[in-house]
Amino acid sequence: MPLYKLSYFEERGLGEVSRQLFHLSGTPFWDNRIPFDHWPRIKEYTPFGQVPILCVDGEELPQSFAIARYLANQFGFAGKSAFESAWVDALADQHKDYLNEIKPFLMVANGFAEGDKEKMMNEMAKPSIRKYFTILEKQAKDNGSNGYFVGNSITWIDLVVSDHMGVIETLVPNAFDGFPLVEAVRQKITSEPKLKEWIEKRPET
Amino acid sequence: HSPLYNLLYSAWLSLVPSFSAMPSYKLTYFPVRARAEVARQLFYLAGVPFEDVRVPHADWPALKPKTPFGQMPLLEVDGKPLPQSYAINRYLAKEFGFAGKSPFEAAWVDAIADQFKDYNIELRPLFLVLMGFAQGDKDQLLKDVGIPARDKFFGILEKLAKDNGNNGHFVGSSLTWADLLIADHVKTVSIHLPSFLDGFPTVLDTVKKIESTPKLKEWIEKRPDTKF
Repeated sequence: MPLYKLSYFEERGLGEVSRQLFHLSGTPFWDNRIPFDHWPRIKEYTPFGQVPILCVDGEELPQSFAIARYLANQFGFAGKSAFESAWVDALADQHKDYLNEIKPFLMVANGFAEGDKEKMMNEMAKPSIRKYFTILEKQAKDNGSNGYFVGNSITWIDLVVSDHMGVIETLVPNAFDGFPLVEAVRQKITSEPKLKEWIEKRPET
Repeated sequence: HSPLYNLLYSAWLSLVPSFSAMPSYKLTYFPVRARAEVARQLFYLAGVPFEDVRVPHADWPALKPKTPFGQMPLLEVDGKPLPQSYAINRYLAKEFGFAGKSPFEAAWVDAIADQFKDYNIELRPLFLVLMGFAQGDKDQLLKDVGIPARDKFFGILEKLAKDNGNNGHFVGSSLTWADLLIADHVKTVSIHLPSFLDGFPTVLDTVKKIESTPKLKEWIEKRPDTKF
């Protein structure tokens, strides 16, 4: 088995999906959490000046979704056929587009930028959430309302969306009203024993 | 080849039993290179016929609700839709052998592509003005947005190309969809900002080598000429 090290900040953010893939598959790894004040000193030594970074037997790999997809493929959470994997990728890219849309709101809501949080929530965040979650709801339905977005087993997009919902619900009240099938995916995913265990014991962030 | 040619060729293929296992492919996008060009190149490089559907802007609103995400490009494989350009690129690249020679190499191709996507997002305000889609101060945007984004991303690419031995690829030793993505972007930049990438000679050299791949050279010469 290769030696795995995942380096990221002391938060869930873009690193959490990969941590969950390790825990779900029962694969040991070094969960390297970098305090913010250490980052400026080590940034220039990283391939892209960013985290997360995955290290596999000493070989580095940057970019959160490249890492997640690589691990998902290694551990069996990337869909059961090439076309299914492609649909997981498509949803992940749609998720990324949506995150970019609401990024200004998230920056203000999390205190990293100045702005009218209430106004941005109503004019930016809520419409974007509605647009993206409508796609997710339809996807869950077209997939047979079986508690997964693609196929009939956990894929990494299930993990990405479930974790993100945990972020949004602290910032936007009733964000997921009208998206019961998406909520059902989150329920199914978070009740998966190995994941439930990890969620209970992980650092609170 | 014209869409009619592709259609007739696909029809002929479907009559030949040994070829009937090959899926029928249709790629739908606007009549530009942009987010569909890499997919078109992958088909051409692999010698795989496909319907290259180019939708005039005026026709898009009627088509939009019929697509899974309300967006293009859209790939259809035996009628089954797949949206999102990078998902399409990666799927075709894996099918045709342009996704790297190992899972780790494939992951590096993905990483470069995602970094390119981040760079494009940063560049967007400048790009919109350059293409005439928005009003703005081009010189100010170049200074505030274009140059920092360029230096960050192309600095990474220059190092990757050098560390890879200036072998004509950004990762590994065979053509990947990351190579195609970068080469097409450099082409677009050369049309609108001629000396923008002069500070990255290894990248430019790598792109020249990529573009000299015989089938790609052929496609570039015969494809419809577009500004982006």
